[in-house]
Amino acid sequence: MIRHVFRLIWNRKRTNFLMMIEIFVSFLVLFAVVGLAVYTADNWRRPLGFSIERLWTITIDMKQTGDDSFTEGQQETVRQLLLALADFREVEKTAGTMGAPYQFGSWNSGYQWHGRRIEFGVAEVTDDFKDVLGLEIVEGRWFNRDDDGQNYDAVVINQDMRQDLFGDGQALGQNIANDRSPDDTEAVREKRVVGVIAAYREDGEFDGERNYVLYRKTMVGTADRRNRPPRNLLVKVAPGTGAAFEERLIKRLQAVAPEWSFEVSTLASMRDTSIRFALIPLAAVGLVAGFLMLMVALGLLGVLWQNVTQRTREMGLRRAKGAAKVDVQRQILGEIAVMTSLALLAGVLVAIQFPLLDIIYFVEPHVYAIGLAISVSAIYLLTLACAWYPSRMATRVEPAEALRYE
Amino acid sequence: MLKNYLKLAWKVLLRRKFFTFISLFGIAFTLVVLTLVTALLDHVVAAYPPETQHARTVGIYFAELRGEHSRRNGLAGYALLDKYARNLPNVERMGVATMASGVFSYVNGQRLKSYLKRTDGTYWQILDFKFLEGGPYSDADVADHRMVAVINDATRQRFFGGQPALGRTIEADGQRFTVVGVVPDVPILRMVPFSDIWVPHTTAKSDSYTREYVGDFMGILLLADPGRIALTRDELWSRLRTVKPDDRAFERLSATPETMFDFLGRMFAAGGRGEGGGYGRRLELVLALAACLFMLLPAVNLINLNTSRIMERASEIGVRKAFGASSSTLVGQFVVENLVLTLSGAALGFLGAALLLQVINGSGLIPYAQLQLNHRIFGWGVVLAVVFGLLSGVYPAWRMSRLHPVLALKGVSR
Repeated sequence: MIRHVFRLIWNRKRTNFLMMIEIFVSFLVLFAVVGLAVYTADNWRRPLGFSIERLWTITIDMKQTGDDSFTEGQQETVRQLLLALADFREVEKTAGTMGAPYQFGSWNSGYQWHGRRIEFGVAEVTDDFKDVLGLEIVEGRWFNRDDDGQNYDAVVINQDMRQDLFGDGQALGQNIANDRSPDDTEAVREKRVVGVIAAYREDGEFDGERNYVLYRKTMVGTADRRNRPPRNLLVKVAPGTGAAFEERLIKRLQAVAPEWSFEVSTLASMRDTSIRFALIPLAAVGLVAGFLMLMVALGLLGVLWQNVTQRTREMGLRRAKGAAKVDVQRQILGEIAVMTSLALLAGVLVAIQFPLLDIIYFVEPHVYAIGLAISVSAIYLLTLACAWYPSRMATRVEPAEALRYE
Repeated sequence: MLKNYLKLAWKVLLRRKFFTFISLFGIAFTLVVLTLVTALLDHVVAAYPPETQHARTVGIYFAELRGEHSRRNGLAGYALLDKYARNLPNVERMGVATMASGVFSYVNGQRLKSYLKRTDGTYWQILDFKFLEGGPYSDADVADHRMVAVINDATRQRFFGGQPALGRTIEADGQRFTVVGVVPDVPILRMVPFSDIWVPHTTAKSDSYTREYVGDFMGILLLADPGRIALTRDELWSRLRTVKPDDRAFERLSATPETMFDFLGRMFAAGGRGEGGGYGRRLELVLALAACLFMLLPAVNLINLNTSRIMERASEIGVRKAFGASSSTLVGQFVVENLVLTLSGAALGFLGAALLLQVINGSGLIPYAQLQLNHRIFGWGVVLAVVFGLLSGVYPAWRMSRLHPVLALKGVSR
């Protein structure tokens, strides 16, 4: 039966080849979009690790570009700002951080560690950060005064990174520093893991970064590249604090640092923006892909319809020789199923090159597999649905009528 | 002859309406998407008021500091423009302006977000704003650090309820400015003229920007003769080669006067450098490739439909061949037919795009968007439609023309 179907397809190879190309290209388009959607959905369901309730962030613009020339004066001013904030009775807790949750622009790092490449998101935070955001410690401890003046840098990592680097082994006290410094000029300073947190996904629900490393920011000592003043101040406000407080807050900060600019946002509104920015492009791409699929579906329907009308005699002959309606229908559907399978085989072979060649290393295998499975089934569904009406049409051929043409 | 082809094409289209509908749907949809993208791009790079001198204007947008281990790039810094880009040959005027950045104002306990651009006085001479009230500030005002501002119509509406704003004060980012002029809204897509509030750059809270090579400024150059831009560019390059950056991590500073399109290409090219050119050309290539890639699936779809419709016309082809029509004549005829089909689809696509642009304008997704179709975009649409028509018409036509007359006359496949 299968061999027979193959022969039938081969006999009309030109038309069928074009159809297979169309199915092949449709699959690639669909897979790209579905893969993106699955990746987004998979990120969405992972735990965030912090709560944004009553949190505001104050972004400081120090009126300078570049990251490497900070002064101790700037550090002092930031300390003053934090003190000024603590004076307000509307303010419950404050913390300083390099990047705030949901803020655009993320900071990632990667290097060779124990002979393998590790990639991670980076956060630089003050000691109060854990309480302000409500991070959960699952192993070891959070930063504290014990980390002052040591000959190593204390770091806290997230659970995913702990799994990735140490598996079930010991994580606390381990060094996660680079094997060697980028230009070999200086010795690499030890980065000692002092604690593990459940999670902290800085870019929010759509943050694709698995691993996170948190560095400690003290705001004392020299303001070099490693110890620069924080760009964002996080503020936990008292319940019921509204936008009216914002103006007073800004005035006060402006008085402390007249040369700088400040921007206050609630994390709730930043979350809205971040979600919109992630979903609008996805929706636009999805819409375009949806229309493309509709177009392909209509096109296939048209082509198959045409094929069946052309093969009226063949169908008639089969019916005259005693084939049941079901057999004729099965033949048409079988043909399209085989063609779809061939096209998908080629499509899947192309699609799995991406993870094999490590081009999109950040996508987990299971996400990839789910995307692949959904796309494959969707294409089967699409082609079989398109073939359904033409195959019904083929069964309606009256043998006598069809044979008369000869 | 062509008239006959067109007549035939029309008859064929009407014969199987469902097929015609499928084809037109695919074509129209493809061209809606391509037209939308073209319209957006056109509104970023082409000439719209107030950029009436667009053909003669280039900008120094991108600057780069490069050292052995580090690299910093972004928009040009004020120091680069002020020290090295003044009095370049072939330049009539140079204005400077920052990128519009978000600022906050508090009005009656309400927070308002606006965009603020800091400029010099020459900026207003290069751009041809039609003032609704008052006028621009001058270079003298800028030199005097005067706290004056030009605002746009939307800002007047939000701060003053649409009442005349001249002489009233406006607070932004903790600073107070006196309004001296009001201009119409400019879409956010226009990087050079867009803002809500324009103020002299000297009113910045700190003067640290005057020492930056890479910062958030752009230089806007009005050329005497745009054909001789190489003169201007080479002089800027040779001046920049003499710069020794204070920061020892960097060895050289580079920047290039270029059109907005070239700048987009530079931003787009990974590792785009401060010097060198031809990025616009590269971007054109990338865009053309992307358009073709996007058209691939619709084209295969249309080829499929077209080829499967050949057989319908087998006897017609047979008759024509029997009476001596050559293959190339037949190919010509079917390609013309397909072009008629794609161009009608394109016309539908244009209507769809026009509607969609209205929706985008109304949605507020792009602030102050005034996206419309114009003859330029129409021209591109026609070009795209013809490319698409050829892409999807030539192969089926070739297949058709090769039918054997005898078999065709018999109506092989009826």
